[in-house]
Formats: sequence, C-alpha cells, structure tokens
Amino acid sequence: MATIIKTISFNNFFNYYGEYDDTQYDFEEGTNIIVADNGGGKSKFFNAFLWLFYDEVLDSETKRRYGIKDFGLKIISDKAKKETPIGDTVSCGIRLEYETPRKRFRIIKSIKAKKLDESITDNNAWSLTIDEAEVDVTDLVLPKYKAVYDPDKKREIINDLIQPSLRQYSFFQGEEVDRIIDFSKKNSIKEAINTLTGMSDFDELVKTTHYINEKAIDTRDKHIKESENASIQTQKDLEEKKALRIEIEKLEKEYENVRIQFENAEKEIARIEQNYTNAQKRQKLDNKIKEERNKLKTARDNYHDYLDKINGKFFDGNFAWLALGFDKEKNDFRDRITQYKETRYETLTLRGIEENPNDHFTILPFDSPDSVTLDKMIDDKHCYVCNRSAPEGSDAHKYLLKLKNRNNTSKAKPKFRNDLVQFFDNLQLNASPFFKRTDQVKDSVMSTIQIEKDLKGRVIKLEKNVKSLVGSRQDIIITGNDDESKDSDIIKDYGVAIKQKQQSEDRYNRIKGELNNKLKTLEDLNSKISKEAPLSNSDKFESFARLTRDIEEATRRTRDRVFDQMLKRLESYANIHFKDLIKYNEQSGGILKFTKSPTGTIDFNYIDSNGNLVSGASTGFQRMKIFSVVMAIISANTSNYNYPLLADAPLSEFGTGFIKSFFEEAGKIFPQSIILVKELYDKDNAKTLLSKEGEALLKESAISTFYVNTQEDVEQIELVTSKKRLK
Amino acid sequence: MDSNQFREKLLIKRPRYNKRYDLLIKKLANKGTTKSEYSQFGPIYEIFIYCFMIGLKSQRRIPLPERKLTADFLEIGKWKRESPIVDFLLSIVLTKSEELSFDWNSMEDMEDNDLSQCIDKIISFIEEYANGGFQLLEELYEKPEYAESHYIFMDIYRKVVEGELE
Repeated sequence: MATIIKTISFNNFFNYYGEYDDTQYDFEEGTNIIVADNGGGKSKFFNAFLWLFYDEVLDSETKRRYGIKDFGLKIISDKAKKETPIGDTVSCGIRLEYETPRKRFRIIKSIKAKKLDESITDNNAWSLTIDEAEVDVTDLVLPKYKAVYDPDKKREIINDLIQPSLRQYSFFQGEEVDRIIDFSKKNSIKEAINTLTGMSDFDELVKTTHYINEKAIDTRDKHIKESENASIQTQKDLEEKKALRIEIEKLEKEYENVRIQFENAEKEIARIEQNYTNAQKRQKLDNKIKEERNKLKTARDNYHDYLDKINGKFFDGNFAWLALGFDKEKNDFRDRITQYKETRYETLTLRGIEENPNDHFTILPFDSPDSVTLDKMIDDKHCYVCNRSAPEGSDAHKYLLKLKNRNNTSKAKPKFRNDLVQFFDNLQLNASPFFKRTDQVKDSVMSTIQIEKDLKGRVIKLEKNVKSLVGSRQDIIITGNDDESKDSDIIKDYGVAIKQKQQSEDRYNRIKGELNNKLKTLEDLNSKISKEAPLSNSDKFESFARLTRDIEEATRRTRDRVFDQMLKRLESYANIHFKDLIKYNEQSGGILKFTKSPTGTIDFNYIDSNGNLVSGASTGFQRMKIFSVVMAIISANTSNYNYPLLADAPLSEFGTGFIKSFFEEAGKIFPQSIILVKELYDKDNAKTLLSKEGEALLKESAISTFYVNTQEDVEQIELVTSKKRLK
Repeated sequence: MDSNQFREKLLIKRPRYNKRYDLLIKKLANKGTTKSEYSQFGPIYEIFIYCFMIGLKSQRRIPLPERKLTADFLEIGKWKRESPIVDFLLSIVLTKSEELSFDWNSMEDMEDNDLSQCIDKIISFIEEYANGGFQLLEELYEKPEYAESHYIFMDIYRKVVEGELE
C-alpha cells in the first residue's frame, strides 16, 4: 500500500513567498523532478520535510539542524517580513497532501510571527508562536476533508508517509547521500541485515541457549563433584575448570573492551578520512576558485577598459567615428581645394600678364636679331638693326640688354600677399584618415559591439563558474569547526589514529587468540570431565548438558546461516542494481563484495574481474555503489517498498553517464521519487531554462512531472522562488 | 602671412562655451578618476567637438551669451595632438565658406587684420554650432531610449547625421 505525495506547497517559507495555492507543486507516481540552481529553493524544499518529520530545519551555513522554535524567524520569507506592518502578524508554513489507495491526507505545519519592530533579523523584534500541526483526512470516493484532533493519530499519519525506521533509505539530502549507509561505520550493513532478518531475535535465542547450556553444565559438574565416586583427577579437573571460567570471564570483558576500542579507532579513522578527503577537495576547489577569480578580475578589467575606450573612437584616426555622415563635406573639401588651386593659378597668370605683358611672351618680334648678334651688338655698343651707336648706359644699350635677358625676368612670378597653399594642402593630408573612413564607421561600430559582447560574455561565464565552484565548496562538509581544523592538524590526527588502530587491532587479535585457546581448553576439559564422570549418577545430567550444548550450537549456526544468506542476497541484489546503474557509463565496473571483518562488521569492497580491490574510482561511481546497496536493502525486503524517495541528487558528482540510469533505477524501487537537482539548470536557455541533459530527461516517458524553479535578479530581501512546470 | 603663421594663429585660439552646460560637461566628461558605469567622454574638447558636429548636422547655430556667462578651455592646438581630429574639424569648417563669408582665394590677398577676422569667424562658427549641439545633447541625453547604453553617443550621433530626429 504505497504512499504517494500529491502536493507540496509553502506559505512564506524561506524564498517561497506567497500563499499555499501560489506555490503549490503537484506530483504523480513515478519520477518527479525539480530543477533549481543554487539558492533556488532546493535545500529549502528539503527543509519542509525536516519540519514535517522532525520539527527541525537545516541551516545551510553551519550545516546543522535546529529546532523550529530556535530558528523560527529565519524560516519566514524576508519579503513577507519586510511587507508586514508593525503590529501585524505574518504566517509561515508548509502544506503537504499524500494518498494511500483509499485515503488522502493533508498536513499543515505553521508558525505565526507578530512584528514588534522594524528589524527582520532581530528575534526581539518579533513574537513567534508555533501552531499545532493541522491534519485532515478524506476518503477518495467522496473527497471532503475532516480534521483529525487526536495528537497520537496525527503523529501516526505523519509517520505513515515514510516510516521512521525506513527514512534513512527514503530521505536524503546533499552530502547526506553518502551517509544513508555510512560505510565508515562498518556496522551499517550489519545493522541493515539485522533489521531485515530480525537478527536480534536470533541473538536472544543464542544467548538463551548458551545460558541454559552453561547452567546444564554447572548442574552436571555439581553432581559430579558431590558424587562419592568422583575421582581425584575429576575433582582436580573441576577445580581447574572453575578457575578457567573465571579467567575466561575476565578475558571476555577485556575482549569486549578492546573490541570497542578497535571499532572506535576504525570510526575515528573514517571520520578523519572523510574530513581529510574533504579538506583535500576543498583545497583543490580553493585553488580553482582563486584561479577563476583571478581570471574573472582580468576579464572584468578588460571589459571595463574596453568600455572606457569606446567613445575615444570618435576622435581616433584609426576608427574615425566622427566621420560618419560627412561624405558630402569630404567631397566638398576635395572640390574646393582643386577649385582654389585652379583659381590661384589663373590669378597668378593674369597678374603676370598685367605686370609684364612682354615678359609673358617668350617669342622675339619679327626681324629681331638672334642672340649671337645681340651679344655682338652689346659688346660693340652698336645697334646693327637701326644702324646707330648704343653707348653703355644709353637707352639703346639698355634696350639691347633687356632683349637679351627677356626669358630670365619672365620666370620671376608676382607673389600673393599670403601664401596659404600649404595650409590647405596640410589640412587635406592630415584629415585623410577621417575622410577615407566616412563609409567604414558603421562596420567599425558593429565590430566594437561584437567585441564588447564577447568580453561581457566571458565575464558572465566566469562569474557563473565562480558561483558554481563556491556553491560546490560550501557543500563539502568538514565536521566540527572547520575554521580551526587545518589540513596539517587533520593529517597529524590521521597518523595518530592509524597508529592507535594498529595497536588496538594487535591487542584485539592477541586477546581473541587467548580467549579462543581458553575456550578450547574449557571445551576439552568439559569432554574430559564428561568421560571421567561415574555414569550411574551423572548420566541424565551429562545427557542434558550435551543436549543443551547441541541446541546452542544449532541455534548459533542457524543464526549465522540466516545472516550469511541475507548477506549473499544483499550482495546479489546490490550487484543487479549496480550493473543497471552503470549500464550507460562507458567505464566498465567491477563487482560489489560484502565480507565479514574480524570484528564481525561487514566490509564492503569493490572488486574487478581479476579479483583485485578497486579504489580511487570516480565520485560518481562511489555514489552509485552506495545507491546500489540502498536499493538492495529495499529490494531484499520481501514486501514491496511503499514509500517515496526524496533526494537531493548531486548529478555533477554522478556524471552524465549515470544520470539516466539513476532515474530509471529509482523508478523501479520507489513507487514515487521527488528529486531535486541543480545541474540541469541553464539560465541562457530562455525557453525551458534547462541544459541539454535536462531537455533529454524531459522527453523521457518515465518522468511524471518536471518543474524548474526560477528566481529574478533582485536584491536578497526581494528574492522569491517561482516555478515553471514543464511537464 | 604664410601657411605656418596662419595655422599657428588659428591653433592658439581658445574656443568658448556657455557655462550653463558645465553640469552636463561634468557628467559626460570623465577626467579619468573612476571607471564609469557606461562610457563617457574624456577631456572637455572631446565633448565640445562632438557637440559641434551634431550642432552642425542639425543646423543649430546659436550665438553664445555675453562673455561673463561663458568660459574657455584648452587652445585648439593642444587638442589630442596625436590625432588628426583638429585638421578634420577645420576641413569641415572651411567647406562652409559661404556661411563664413570669405572664400579661400580672397584670403590670399587679405591684410593681416582681415585674415585675423577670418580666424575669428572660424572660431565663432565653431563656438555657435557647438552651442547648438550642447543644447541638443542636453535635450536628448536624459531620454529613456538612450538610458544606460554604452553606445548612447553613437546612437545620438547616428540619428542626427542621418536626419532621424523629429
């Protein structure tokens, strides 16, 4: 008779702001998935169940659980607290509905807080009351809820959702995944077997039969001793046996103490090992976070530097953004400078003509003497054209000289008052980087936008990386105050614990050996006494002693056989599940092997096909091993497992290869699973907000419902979790 | 006067602007002290040149008020010396010789006084169109469509030069 959770809703519970109906999730049988990024309501969802079952919540900062009465103010939505006027009351609660084949139950747990002052964090500013749990029941034929008043009945209904003794197999969160079966406690599997087989009854039986056997032997010995026919040797043996039993008793006590010491040493190693492993993980993450933060800083600096330089492109000749739209002016300037030079030249020429019209012409008048004759006339100081003298300094002589020098004087052009040609030429030359880019500006702008977008994209990507790494780091727990535990201390403690374990183990083995020897001696002595005893008197007592011994032996063997059978069965189921869990993974796995350790606990090992112990497999593999054992424990139970699975699944630890198989296997064992994941979230996919793995999973028919939690990018106090149902 | 002398006389001029735009200039001209939320101009002459260009393209020529309500800044010759921006600016101005009321050829024969007046006309031209540009920028700058964009100045510029402003 499976219990199926139908709805879960919240009223101002952490980031789930609003009334119950606003925040309701509807679930079905089979696999239900809620995708939520860090801070997206994932662990708060889990806290609702902690409140439901244990009246506790988990503080995500300290990773510790607190009672509702101690933590009450913090579970109320900040936004709701902010909006509540002083003197008014705000309510906060969780509501869950579940069904069995015949009935439906509704459970509400809530608190109320009256606002006395403005602060939303100061406990003195609020007066809290914890409401009584409300439980209602209805049948499914004619649904109408009726209240349940009896407190015991209420508790029963709440526990019926998932039985307390089985919650460790149904209900696990984050790092708790590794603690469902805490393989550091080697008793874990043994305890599971004990629960499944009712082993405690067998142990009681063995104890009882042993006690009866001892008493039977004592009675026999007493009669032998009191018998007149008992030989001196027999008397001696009886005395020896008495002394031996005292020694054995002492040794058994010491054995028990050393066994406990040895177990404690093993637990201590496991505890430190976990911390050590986690410390290593955190150190690795710290280095990665530092590296990513440095990259982020550089990327941000580059981005801001780029932004600061954008407007400089208006004035920089390499980009010349100011030149946009100035094609006309470019052409104008070119035309004007051409026109200017042409006009200038014409003006120059005209001025030259006006000043010296004759100089302007380079051809001599008709009948003019040639230059040789001219020279002669100048030298002779006589003009042979008009046949008259031309003495030096006379007008005639000057005229002759002028004729001769006509070409030279025509080269001396008249000047302008101001010579600005170079001014305009230089303007044109210097401005050319702008003029030649008038039609390139738009492309330059587009290119700038693209580069800016790329730089911004890089910043966003790195911000996401850092956020994700920080989130992962927060998930790694080191028990105790991890500010005080340094890696060096952890390593030192680990070394000490290893040594102590070795010492305990040696002592344990020595005492065990001694005890076994003494028990053997006792047994031999019993046999000897038994043979020596005068038959007539002690026969019935001897027979009874033997009978009780046989009964004890048989009981012990039965117990061991039942235990071993269950162990084998668990191993077999675990391997079936394990094979299914890793079937989509490319890496081939070994097999799981359960073996009894010397201290009676169960060792859980992972062996390859050659029988070699495999260690150092990926975290995903490790998680799959644990799930295999959990599922085996559930499968090995003769009746069907009738409770939902509530899991916070760290899929990144699983790896892509395991995600699909995990959901399939969960579906086979649990009639309903509600699984919260973050790694399927992709903010950039506006349509579904899912990564491509998430979208693939959405299409699987085995998935009954699929939600994505969203949050707006607002300040913390305004942060609310909303949801989008995709299936 | 030769080319170099003329250029020198022009480049030592310090254009003036209306002091009522001091606040706008302060907002837009980042003197390099802090990183801005989105881009700003650098020195004052950049915003001045920008305003001149948009004033010219939108045909807003507004005379400056009386002198005491104006201020000057850096001389033209020191504006972004490594860039050809000043030559580009002057080239644009000199294509408007009709509005300047002198033509290039006539400058060749001018007396020094007259040539100085040409220079003054060039400077006034720049100042008055820049003044119009400041007015336009002040109107547009606070509009929501340009809010918080890294490309606000290019968006405005493009709309002005392409005549898309109402």
